Parts: sequence; structure tokens; C-alpha cells
Amino acid sequence: MRLQLEVTKNRLLVIGPNGIGKSNLLEAVGLLGSLRSHRSANDKDLIHWNENRAIIRAAADTDEKLELELRRNGGRQAFRNGKFLKRQLDLLGPLRCVGFSSLDLDLVRGEPSLRRNWLDKVVLQLEPIYSDLISRYGKLLRQRSQLWRYNLGSEVESMDTLLDAFDTQMALISTRIHRRRRRLLERLNPLANLWQKKLSKGKEDLVLNYLPGSVLEESEDEALWKSAIEKQLFNQRSIEKRLGNCKIGPHRDEVEFLLNGAHARKFGSAGQQRTIVIALKLAELELIGQLYGDPPLLLLDDVLAELDPHRQLLLLEAVGNKHQCLISATHLDAFEKDWNSDSQILNLDN
Amino acid sequence: MRQPQEKIKNFSNALLNAKSQVGQCSTCFHLTANDECEICCNSNRSKELICVVADSRDLLALERTREYKGVYHVLGGLISPMDGVGPELLNISSLIKRVSEEAIDEVILALTPSIEGDTTSLYLAKLLKVFVKVTRIAYGLPVGSELEYADEITLARALEGRTDI
Ligand SMILES: [Zn+2]
Repeated sequence: MRLQLEVTKNRLLVIGPNGIGKSNLLEAVGLLGSLRSHRSANDKDLIHWNENRAIIRAAADTDEKLELELRRNGGRQAFRNGKFLKRQLDLLGPLRCVGFSSLDLDLVRGEPSLRRNWLDKVVLQLEPIYSDLISRYGKLLRQRSQLWRYNLGSEVESMDTLLDAFDTQMALISTRIHRRRRRLLERLNPLANLWQKKLSKGKEDLVLNYLPGSVLEESEDEALWKSAIEKQLFNQRSIEKRLGNCKIGPHRDEVEFLLNGAHARKFGSAGQQRTIVIALKLAELELIGQLYGDPPLLLLDDVLAELDPHRQLLLLEAVGNKHQCLISATHLDAFEKDWNSDSQILNLDN
Repeated sequence: MRQPQEKIKNFSNALLNAKSQVGQCSTCFHLTANDECEICCNSNRSKELICVVADSRDLLALERTREYKGVYHVLGGLISPMDGVGPELLNISSLIKRVSEEAIDEVILALTPSIEGDTTSLYLAKLLKVFVKVTRIAYGLPVGSELEYADEITLARALEGRTDI
């Protein structure tokens, strides 16, 4: 199967019934721009069931040619301007994008893990090497939880020494993850608040609070944070032994949204919660644009039709013509007409 | 699947023979056909310096640098609870015995800088520190890379620039 597409306008509307591949198209762009899929952690799911590999190629208007090849038996290969890249990270840059899908709409009211994943996705945009911290931390957590299930017999001493080894590593990586997540929220806060005010006509004030899963000193100091986390990890061992999971660390981070001082997760209306999500996405677009000098692409996957006409228009007004948008929807009439004016329409129905 | 019985028998016999011919060194657990390996037997190698590696392939990679003049200790793997590998499945008690009973100056930990490698290094450092100076090789190696695939110059440099753990 092969699809070739030239995007000639600032907005591309991809229209078609569910399952036709609208999301796949947006996903492919997102994958090339971020090396990550918002829907799947496994490359196998991104390859047609009947094929051994999938290739995504794109030419950006900067004349950069990007290519990513996914293989069923694992492994990816990245090329830039025809040249094989030893580090796939070197593919990032020309096609930076911010994704906004229907899954994001639960960001405010959903589980804390949604907010942690969101934070990580944004940090990754700013600092791709962060993926190494995240995967190392995930592995440490998995190894640590297996440690409790693993029968070390009567050798309590050996168990304690092993836990020390985990504490030392986890304290350092936790410190680095906490620091990045906290800094990001500090940067996003003013931008998100500006957008929230704009979207609510000045009525709503938004504050993003970082609630770290470890107790951290206010002042940022790697050595200080690390030794504090190490102590906390040590102190929770007896509880951890009983319950089987670690009580300290970034895997227990939470982000709190305050709207005019009240918890938006508990007290915000569904509409207010959606406005916050839009404000956060706009803040993300703006931050990435500021940092790299180029406004990133916006991928609106099945989300526009989920917004009421009022919020659709607010979003359109905010995005304007500044960001190139790729938008997927089942029906063209699902959203405000202003969105389709001056847009390229790709109908995947036939 | 129908493999002729005879073929399977021959194959497993060959495996058994290979295993019985290539055993492990009684001191350092490197592969050898004798009781002690060539390195442990070599009187030119300084016995006061032990380099700890995960397996014999890593040992061979370090040997290719021709920089290292000490002896080794092969753990037989790395600590990984997810794979059911705890410290007691590795050649760790024999290492502690060696270090506590012999006159050793320094133990160099040369384990892959993965979660499993670092866990094993930190674990060993804690146990060995009471007897001896413990260092780890300095990784100019790219994160996640395997010792076996590191080139000789990188490894030689890493051996030279080792740090305390
Ligand atoms: Zn030997």
C-alpha cells in the first residue's frame, strides 16, 4: 500500500470514515516529526499486517528530505537527505509537530499517568535525549518490583545491598526527571495562563502546579535532591515490601490545574476542562515555536469535531495561519465552516 | 516437525562433548579446557589486580587491547530480577572469597553501563569495598553499548581512566 500526498495549503483536512486510515496519515507525520507514535508503543502495530516494513518519507519546504523505515522484526532506520543516520535523533528538527488528539481531551480530568505522559512528550520535544532517562527509569522500576517477588531466601543482607544499588540509581535519575518536568511546567505556566485568559475572555486564571512524587527542596540542587530522594526511598522500604510497589519517585508525579484558585479536575465544568486542554496545547505550540524559531505543525486527530462550535472557533482564531495544520475528521460538516475555507481537502472515502 | 531421531542424538552428544572439553577456570571462571585458564596460569600477570567482567566475551574484548596485565573474574551474567538472575546465580561469593583471602590491591569493575550492569557494579562495590580498593572503568562508551562491540582504543582508554565507585 502506498500513499503520496502534496500538502499545498496551510490546512489539510483529511476526511473519511473510521478505520480508513486518517489517523495513520497523521500518525506517520507525527512519527517522522517526533519518532514517537501517540497511539502505539510498538512498531509492529504501525506496519500493515501483510507487510514486513513501513516507510515514511517527507520533503519539508526547507528542502530537507526525511525518511524513516520501520521493520516488523524490530529496528528502525532513519535517513536525512538520503544519508543514513547513526543516531535517529538526528532526524528531528525539520518537522517538529504538536499532536492534539481526542485522547488528550481527558488530560485534566483523567488519570495522573495521562498528565505525566503529556509532560514527558513535551520535554522530549525540547530535549530528545530525555527518552533515555525515561526508559532507564521505567526499567529500574520494573527490575525493582521484580526484586520483591524474587525469592532471595534468608539473605536479607544481600536484599538490602541490592536495594541500595537500586536506590542510588533511582535517586539520580529521579532527580533529573523531576528537574526537567518542573522546569517545563514553569515555562508553560505563563503561556498557558495567557491563553486561558484569552479563551475565557479574561475570566479565568490558570495555574499549573507540579506535585512531585518525591519530597523536593524548593531550591534546585542535584546533590541535595539526590540524597533526599535516596533517603526517602530507603525509608519507604517496609511499606514497599508490604504493598509491592515503590512509593517515591517521578512515577508518582502529579500536575494540578487551578482555575481561579479552584481545582479544575474536581470543580471545573467539562467545558472549562476542555478549554484548559486547548490552552495547554497552544502553550506547547508557542513554547516550541519560541525555542526553535519555527512554528511547529499542529496535528488535530479526530479532536476538532469533539469540540463545540464555540471552542472550535476559539482554537481556529488562536492557531490562525501561523501553524500548518493537519486535521482528521469523519465528516466535513462536523466542524465550523471557517475551518474549511482556504483548506486542502483529502477525501479518503473512495 | 519430524527430525530423524539419530540426528538429534548426534547433535546433543556433540554439545555435551563441547561442554565437557571446555570447562571453566576454577579461579576466574573464564573458559578453559584445563583446571586453570591461561591467564591465571601466566606468571607475568599481576595477581593483585582483578578485573570483573560479565562473561568470557567481555574478557576477550579487554584482552584484545593488550593493555591489561592483571587477572580476571567472570561473573557469568549480570543481576537482573526480571530475568530471575539474583546475586547467588552469579560467581559472586567466589569473588568475595578471592578478595578477602588473597592479597589483592584493586578490583576493577568492567561491566556494561546498562541498568543491570550498574546494579551489579554498585552491589559488588558495596560488598568488596570493605576489603579492597574498588574502581570502575570510565565509560567513554556510548550509553547502552556493549563491551564486546567497543573498539580496542575506546576500551584501552576506559581502562586507563577508571574511577572510584
Ligand atoms: Zn582463570
